[in-house]
Amino acid sequence: MTDRTLTATRHTHSQGALVLAVAGELDHHTAPEFTRVVQETPFGPDAPVLIDASGLTYCDSTGITVFVSAYQRAQKTGTRLFVVGLNADLTRVFGIVGLDQLFTFQPTVDDAINALRA
Amino acid sequence: MTGVEDAFLHDVEAATAAATDERRRLAAVSRYDILDTPSDGTFDKIASLAARIFDAPMATVAIVDSDRVWFKAAHGLRDVAEIARDPDLSAPVIPHQGPYVVTDALDDPRTAGSSLVRGELGVRFYAAAPITTADGHRLGSVNVLDTRPRRPTEDQLAGLQELAALVMDQLELRLAAQHTVAAERERRADAERLARTLQRTLLPPALPTVPGLRAAAAYHTASVDEVGGDFYDLFPLDDGRWAFFLGDVCGKGAAAAALTSLTRYTLRAAAIYDPDPCTALANLDTVLKGEYQGDTPRFCTAVFGVLDAEPDGSFTVTLAGGGHPPTLAVRADGTVEPVSTAGGQLIGLLPDPHFVQTTTRLAPGDALLLYTDGLIEARTADGSMLGEEGLTRHLATRAARGAEDLLATVHGLFTDLGTGVSDDTALLALSVPPCSIPQSAQENR
Repeated sequence: MTDRTLTATRHTHSQGALVLAVAGELDHHTAPEFTRVVQETPFGPDAPVLIDASGLTYCDSTGITVFVSAYQRAQKTGTRLFVVGLNADLTRVFGIVGLDQLFTFQPTVDDAINALRA
Repeated sequence: MTGVEDAFLHDVEAATAAATDERRRLAAVSRYDILDTPSDGTFDKIASLAARIFDAPMATVAIVDSDRVWFKAAHGLRDVAEIARDPDLSAPVIPHQGPYVVTDALDDPRTAGSSLVRGELGVRFYAAAPITTADGHRLGSVNVLDTRPRRPTEDQLAGLQELAALVMDQLELRLAAQHTVAAERERRADAERLARTLQRTLLPPALPTVPGLRAAAAYHTASVDEVGGDFYDLFPLDDGRWAFFLGDVCGKGAAAAALTSLTRYTLRAAAIYDPDPCTALANLDTVLKGEYQGDTPRFCTAVFGVLDAEPDGSFTVTLAGGGHPPTLAVRADGTVEPVSTAGGQLIGLLPDPHFVQTTTRLAPGDALLLYTDGLIEARTADGSMLGEEGLTRHLATRAARGAEDLLATVHGLFTDLGTGVSDDTALLALSVPPCSIPQSAQENR
């Protein structure tokens, strides 16, 4: 049995973007932690939100709902949302379920910040 | 009736009543399920506290069984786990009301013959407070013993009674916790059984026979603890064509089973209303969103297809996919190619989902394999995901012929992957039997 651990934290990048870092295994058991961080994040047009998933090793269907809820909040509030550093397996999963059409992906936080400036 | 007969009958009645009381008392002892359990810090502390209150060398928490007095805790009594019930110092507590005190056991006719008094321990002082259930049954007592005769104070006896009440509270708590755990375990087992049964009923018991087509299906269970929500079906449409679908709902257990049921019947009904594959998925999307609103969205991935039999024995397959991995076509010559519905999105979750439709032709000797993501998300020995590529490679090297053979090949893959498969997988294979086909049919593909 793999240990089901997940960390989800939020910090503010020096350029003003809100970075939600999620690392570990995102599944039915751990999703509430990430959900809490997403819910506690103030979405709005002034500060872009970057979900830093570079440490994410697994994401099941429940995990996907958290990403979608972040997307829906971003849509409602006019927030620019990026998903950063998704690994190859998860990129493939996001592609299969069609979420690649919802999110803008960037390899790193810096790439996302540069893309925001451009 | 003479006075003697009256007295005799009275004795018989009293004896019968006592036997009934004792039966009920033993039933109460058994209910608390405490006899012969390992030592427990709480009861040990109660015994040592009793000894301290009396400044006595020995104290016990004793439960009276039918033929013995068993010590749940014994302070200062080495290697004594239980004693015979009769005669001894603990048994008298049973018919006695309130605290029971023997100030000098040697002089007291009730206890002078006891092994504890006469024997090595040489007990002279004995005080007991009964452990009494709410319905009045005496399970045993909290006892203090000393080798010197003594006269306890009212405070000491009150303290002893409080300790006995504490033992009773603890026994009640223990029982409540046991009931809760047992009920929870039972509830979970029931839910799992129900979900598993429900899940089985959600799959067709046998696939129908489609003229000119072979069909085979399988359900591979990854875990006995968590029931997945994979589903498939193959059924006739009103216009003589056939439709099929295969998919996977989010979540596990009973909730997933309920969602699977809704999904399967919605797709069947949608197909009768309008068999266009994209429309069927869009109808399902609407139904799921209507049924599950709020914080816990329920969604699924699915492939829906319609089979059109062609005069030359081949089938035209129109497929739509929402959030589902690509269907694989295994051609008569052994090549494996994806029939991709990439771009099709999850069903029931997104505000305005997009579904993707595609068409392929199944010629004699061709087969189609539909699967859920438990298969391609399985981990291979090196820890990497099998993926669509791994599955394609496996099928290409095995050169399976026909629907059953194709599933047997995939079954072999499951065996190889072993514990790398962490999710349930549903499989549906459709194949057109090979025949002495005209050369032109192959060239037309």
